Amino acid sequence: MSRSTILWSAALAAAALVIPFYLDASWLQDGLFAMAAAIGAIGLNLLTGATGQLSMGHAFFLAVGAFGYVYFASEPQEGGAHALGGLGLPTPLAAVLAVLLAGVAGGLFSPIAARLKGAYLGIATLALIFIGQFAMTNATPVTGGHNGRPVPPMELFGFVFADTPEAPLVIAGVPFGALERLWFLGAILLLGAGLFARGVLRGRPGRAMNTIRDHEIAAGVMGVPVSRYRAGVFVLSSMYGGLAGVLVALVFQQTVPDYFGLLLALAYLAMIIIGGLGSVAGAVIGAVFVSMLPRLLTRYSDALPLIVQPGQEGVGAAEAAQILYGLAVVVVVLFLPGGLLGLITQLRLRTGRPLPAAAPKHSLTPTPETRN
Amino acid sequence: MSDAYQPDGMDPSVPKLEVRDVTVRFAGLVALDAVGFTVEPGSVHAVIGPNGAGKSTCFNVLSGVYRATSGSVRFGDAELTALPPHRIAALGMARTFQNIALSPRLSVRDNLMLGRHRLTRAGFVSAGLRLPSARREAARHTERVEEIAAFVGLTPQLAMPVGLLPYGVQKRVELARALCMEPRLLMLDEPVAGMNGGERREMAELIIAVRESLGISILLVEHDMGMVMRLADAVTVLDFGRRIADGPPEAVQNDPEVIRAYLGATSETEEATP
Repeated sequence: MSRSTILWSAALAAAALVIPFYLDASWLQDGLFAMAAAIGAIGLNLLTGATGQLSMGHAFFLAVGAFGYVYFASEPQEGGAHALGGLGLPTPLAAVLAVLLAGVAGGLFSPIAARLKGAYLGIATLALIFIGQFAMTNATPVTGGHNGRPVPPMELFGFVFADTPEAPLVIAGVPFGALERLWFLGAILLLGAGLFARGVLRGRPGRAMNTIRDHEIAAGVMGVPVSRYRAGVFVLSSMYGGLAGVLVALVFQQTVPDYFGLLLALAYLAMIIIGGLGSVAGAVIGAVFVSMLPRLLTRYSDALPLIVQPGQEGVGAAEAAQILYGLAVVVVVLFLPGGLLGLITQLRLRTGRPLPAAAPKHSLTPTPETRN
Repeated sequence: MSDAYQPDGMDPSVPKLEVRDVTVRFAGLVALDAVGFTVEPGSVHAVIGPNGAGKSTCFNVLSGVYRATSGSVRFGDAELTALPPHRIAALGMARTFQNIALSPRLSVRDNLMLGRHRLTRAGFVSAGLRLPSARREAARHTERVEEIAAFVGLTPQLAMPVGLLPYGVQKRVELARALCMEPRLLMLDEPVAGMNGGERREMAELIIAVRESLGISILLVEHDMGMVMRLADAVTVLDFGRRIADGPPEAVQNDPEVIRAYLGATSETEEATP
């Protein structure tokens, strides 16, 4: 690890620690959505960026995670036509099961994911979105139907990630409500998800995935079981989607089927393209960009030309954000093939060091101990 | 079956490659017509022929990329025609590609590490969690990769993305990646195509060095006749998907059928007896 990497990590960790003490709830909520989006985008980047398998169905796996968590954690409710099912499991267990459920859903689809490549898989996964929408609005006892259902707050070792007015938690003069508490949970989950994905990408599986993307035939000839890898990455990416779904549900405190539609799936693709395909940092940068853009535009809409205040006629902040990130995708595809991360890397390479000089030739001898 | 090699070509763990009556048809077009030859253990065997003779098709059948319509390919005890590419790789058959098939954005080191895929075990979980076993494995194999890079003369480029390297160097990365598989049979598809004189000479020296230090069998597809005659112990000549000659280089060189195929005399596709 280079010194600049350590400095950057330390600065980010400090920022993550300090932010809940200074920013108000609405900023924290957007920050949490960005974290959830980052986890989901990392998963999609493993599949689409690193392995070259397009998925338009990522939102489906977020939905599986979100509704899975709600179903596993909620107590069943009687109420005639509006009866809601649930298993009433402890919430951490429900969260783990929800992620596994998303993995199982990905596994069920993986025979298809293993056989189709690139854009063809994209079309096939589109079906998941529509199947998901249909199932969510009709499986009312599980999902609550069109209006969704409330999300039980996470409770870890007796610590509740929710507002507790009867026993307020105050740290350094700052009242710690649901969002402040969830902030740290989100940060830890994102850190874990990011480190795991980085390990995968830099290790043996990552090299195999990249070669499948760059040259499928070469990957097979080099000993990579291509179909098995495609299926495996699809399952892993689904589990990342499931985890992002759990976090989104916890932050929203209400799950709504409409949210997990095609637009969300496309937003995830926009994130990894804008941020940078194939890397963890790219996914995180893209997720923050796409999630925070509407918020920033709303906040500063009075200072920006052409953007009107909420409620007035004209291009509002939300529409402007849509237009801007659409524009960002086009600009990145045309001018920045590596995304925002690629831009940063290029700027850093400009100040790089020269390469070391050539070494003399040696002869090669077989070493039996490295052979198996 | 053991994976260990000795530095000499007499080692029994390098098996014979026997190609028998392999036919490949692509919807009516016969790309290979009952082709057969044998690569003796530790020898350099060249497959030559004019453009479109079926040399690359032959390679693709041997490495499992194409399915043979009929015929058999045996490597030791294993029948290859029914196996997928990764299972053939697991038997110790490595190949390079005529058109470079590397990951341009990965470093030379990472491209070479891919060659270690079949020799390593780390999966998603152990790589993701950076388990000690995965780290030890990576360290051990990185060491061997660096040794092979030094042998091929790629040490200065190890950290560079492959896409930034000149063509001739990329061809050497291809060869090094195949060597990283610790192959028992190395298949080189036009290793000097598109190279200049100096690069050709270097590559030829490298192939000789591989053969001398590892004693593995080498199957070579090449257009450069000078190089084939210098390197090969045996030559198989293909023309329009058929074998028209097979034998030691001197004999093949003077075969009237071969001269006709190469100089384009007005012979129709008549049956040739080797």
